[in-house]
Amino acid sequence: MSDSQRWLSKRDFMRVAVAIGGTSALSACLERTETPDLPRGTDDPSSLPPRQHAWNQFLERDDHGNVKQPRHHVLLYVDYTGDTPTESERETVEAAFTSLERAYQRGFQGLLFTVGYSPYYFERAFDSGPGGVDLPTPEALAPFEDPTPDDPDAVVHLASDYAQVVLAAEEALKGNRGTVNEVEVTGFGEVFEVRDRRTGFIGDGLPAENQDVQGIPDDEPVPEDAPLFMGFKSGFEKNQAPEERVTIQDGPFADGTTQHISRIRLHLDQWYDQDSRSQRVGKMFCPAHAEQDAVEGPGDNLGNDSQLGSCPAHTEEDARTSGMVGHAQKVARAEDGERPVILRRDFDTTDGDAAGVHFVSLQQSIADFAATRQAMNGTDVAENSAVGTRTNNGILQYLTVKRRGNYLIPPRQYRSLPAPNPA
Amino acid sequence: MKRRDAIRAGGSIVASATLAGCLDTLGFQTQSAWRDPPLPSNRPDAVYYPAIVEEMGMYGMKEVPAEGVTFALMFSYPHRFWTVTGSNKQRVVVNSDDSLHLMASLWDTESQTVLPVDISLEVLNDGESVTQRSLWPMLSQTMGFHYGDNFSLPDEGQYTARLSVGPVQARRTGSFESRFENSMETEIDFEFDTTNTYNLDLRRLGTKSGERGAVEPTMEEMPAGRTPMESALPGEIIGAASSGDATFVISYIETASRFGDQSYLAVSPRTPYNRIMLPLMSLSATVVRDGSTVFDDILTETLDPVFGDHYGGTVGQLQSGDTVTVTVDAPPQMSRHDGYETAFFDMPPIEVTV
Repeated sequence: MSDSQRWLSKRDFMRVAVAIGGTSALSACLERTETPDLPRGTDDPSSLPPRQHAWNQFLERDDHGNVKQPRHHVLLYVDYTGDTPTESERETVEAAFTSLERAYQRGFQGLLFTVGYSPYYFERAFDSGPGGVDLPTPEALAPFEDPTPDDPDAVVHLASDYAQVVLAAEEALKGNRGTVNEVEVTGFGEVFEVRDRRTGFIGDGLPAENQDVQGIPDDEPVPEDAPLFMGFKSGFEKNQAPEERVTIQDGPFADGTTQHISRIRLHLDQWYDQDSRSQRVGKMFCPAHAEQDAVEGPGDNLGNDSQLGSCPAHTEEDARTSGMVGHAQKVARAEDGERPVILRRDFDTTDGDAAGVHFVSLQQSIADFAATRQAMNGTDVAENSAVGTRTNNGILQYLTVKRRGNYLIPPRQYRSLPAPNPA
Repeated sequence: MKRRDAIRAGGSIVASATLAGCLDTLGFQTQSAWRDPPLPSNRPDAVYYPAIVEEMGMYGMKEVPAEGVTFALMFSYPHRFWTVTGSNKQRVVVNSDDSLHLMASLWDTESQTVLPVDISLEVLNDGESVTQRSLWPMLSQTMGFHYGDNFSLPDEGQYTARLSVGPVQARRTGSFESRFENSMETEIDFEFDTTNTYNLDLRRLGTKSGERGAVEPTMEEMPAGRTPMESALPGEIIGAASSGDATFVISYIETASRFGDQSYLAVSPRTPYNRIMLPLMSLSATVVRDGSTVFDDILTETLDPVFGDHYGGTVGQLQSGDTVTVTVDAPPQMSRHDGYETAFFDMPPIEVTV
């Protein structure tokens, strides 16, 4: 082990290993830490849920009942190398996924994964969009953004509390490992070609330990107990759509879902060096939260809800009289009844040595995501008040969306190179 | 005194630590001079002369002909300022690793109307991003209305500033109606050379400091975001009054096609002395006639080729004796440099009689 690895803390090391990836990172990872004794997965695929995105029942919850996301994540962007999928290619891909399911128990202490397919895949391979699902090509979702569309054929999202597990699973899919967790595995072979990998983490302590990157001031302002770079908790139970709400209800892809992934750069110099704690609370949640000093630390005291109360209804009034609106306050305006329509599975990243977010979101339709983002833009509010396009407009000032991608996550039975109308 | 003279007096020009030492020779204390210069003890709740004012340097101007706009990038050494949310302000002192203060502005090339639109700035070095952020809308006596922030750059050398904006969100009227609807981007190359930065003129205002007043904006090649003189405003001026030390000129236009052929109330708030625009406010108005309220609504921030940035609404025909009240629901949400940070906060309603 090199000296540079020696001074890294264990958590930091794990994040760095996931970011670097590959067999060398994996072996360094295994060398450095005791391989946890992880239970094997299942030989009986029918024991697994039909929904790829059914993760919540396999995740831990905190004291308030909030689902805790797995701590380590890899997004593997792949391109299909053939023209139109053959049965043999489908079998290769399916065998790769099933072997991972045999190797690792489904869960945060094992492995969770999904595979989603882009509109480009369906167009290239079949000249047709997926049946019964509106899957648009990605586009700018705010008047002031100019994201590059991501156009891989598919994205595999790998997640686990163990860095070794996401790394080993990735290597297995790429065909670089014959066994993981003492179980024989097979990879994608020639069917998929890896185009890109994106990595990240979420959970108490990880952002603080990985803050030596562009976009965060040098004085290490990210609190030790923060699960995300911006210093606050997110994903409160009541501020997440239930899995059922984001599930496609009928048609050939019933039990599937749509996935939107944005690559976001964070610019937190101003956030930490120039805004006060009170301004941060107001901009993240709602001006009332700032006035009442309602958020302690990262917000554990809020329980299972960001406690917005009448904040969403007062968005315009707050903009007029407070000159500021909160991010959560604006976004909640897109709720369907009492719950949001998107299920966040986002995580932070230091890819490119810059602070960022891979904003992974699941929803019944991409239109649900677009509506939520529109609410977050607050353009309506800004036009009629002292709030600027970005200035004092939630957290818009502190992030830039660099890339966007849309995917269909089919039900598990059609997860391998699906046709537009499988079955 | 030229800053370079001060620097010569202090020794070699290399790092900010040296510069802080130089400021010492000007009579400032090393630490506070750099981070948080002294404030006049007698600041009024109004625009006042700061203790010192500095010259700005120009890194470049670039026209985007297809959009008929011009971007500019200016620099100075790192500055203290105050951010504003609602009626609260937060003092931002200079960080030890701040290299310089970068300022950007964007205006309609033909009319020289400065556009109120949040500007993002990414600094690149050899094509690699060094830093990126959305600049604060700002008010300073030497620059007028602009966007800016303090930046830390790794070294002296060649950089590219990529400036980008979204559409102007204020309502637009007249020949501006179909303008400024697109995202726009330009790049301005610059050389960060501490010698240039620290050669900028520095002027101490001595006994004037803390007195009500303001120095003139110093940039000659570019507009400072001034509103038109009262005499140049169209329509009938029904009043001009001060609130929170801002001047509100209220004009009434009986009918104009660009305001929908309806009677239009235009409120043009501006700084005293220099008539700098004050965007990012919430204003509303009432019209009371014979004890009855005949109009009660918000005024919409509007960019017009003649009025410039102002707040307006269609009020119906005004009659002699009507009482027009303009209420400031939120003061201008702009960051402020020295001399503006105490003004435009406590802003009582303005009442004029037609």
